[in-house]
Amino acid sequence: MSDMAPTPRFYHFAAAFGAGGLLTLMILFNGTLAIYGSLYFASWVPHLTGTVAALALLIILRPKRVAAVRPPLWTYLGGVSGALTVMLTSATMNTALALSGTIALGLAGQVMFSLFADMRGLFGLPQRMPGARDYLSLTLIIAGSLILIFYGGAA
Amino acid sequence: MIVFAGLAVLAGVLVGLSRQINGRLALSTSAMESSFWNHIVGLVFITSVALLLGGLFAGAPQASPWWAYLGGPIGVIFIAAGSWLIARIGAAQTALLIIAGQMISGVALDIIMGAPGSIWARSIGVALILAGMWVAQGGKRPEPADR
Repeated sequence: MSDMAPTPRFYHFAAAFGAGGLLTLMILFNGTLAIYGSLYFASWVPHLTGTVAALALLIILRPKRVAAVRPPLWTYLGGVSGALTVMLTSATMNTALALSGTIALGLAGQVMFSLFADMRGLFGLPQRMPGARDYLSLTLIIAGSLILIFYGGAA
Repeated sequence: MIVFAGLAVLAGVLVGLSRQINGRLALSTSAMESSFWNHIVGLVFITSVALLLGGLFAGAPQASPWWAYLGGPIGVIFIAAGSWLIARIGAAQTALLIIAGQMISGVALDIIMGAPGSIWARSIGVALILAGMWVAQGGKRPEPADR
């Protein structure tokens, strides 16, 4: 996998779909922490327990490094962006946007950024141009999501 | 209001940015190592901000149920999965399929927990998402010519 993305297979789709299921559980668990403690606490705890769990998994699984050379320093900063997300959503959730508006606009931002990132191959990841099928599938998934967010009681 | 809407969009952009950077780190190391760095760097960042602004232990955090603490380990798998996937199926596919899984499992959880909601909206929403996944699957057969 030196220069290009392999063809997506069924297990890629299954893994991504399953990851979405995990996200639902995370939101439930972390959201429950936020009911009892502060919004910082609800983000601080999963980062703390996650760090311990990831360290344990690294020690047990000992995954091989793909490259012997250390990647650039900025590649280690993804966690800052993730932590900022929690603070922003916590702020907008309590405005007139509410949870549904926060999620819907967040989906829009995420999809727009990822399309742009694919087109440009941002941050050294493989470049790929979305085709007509990608836009059709995007439209269907986002339309379904918006219906669920605003009318389905799911948030 | 426009400001908050902008911030909500920015939050989504940051989700994509984080996955892109973590995916790049995984390309040089491994998905699990990328997830580890994501968590420990995020932890240092949140701790710093909380120390600066205070209020980390406000409220009654000790009263929360034990299972609410399981979000961290689950997040480790979630970040590792995203870092692994993004280099393989692209950022847009990764984002959309995770959204699809999140939405459909959210409906399932709502039904299990008896949350109120329109059965029609839920059915149409889930059907549209499944249709979108079906379209995505069909479109991604081997394309050796331009890869």
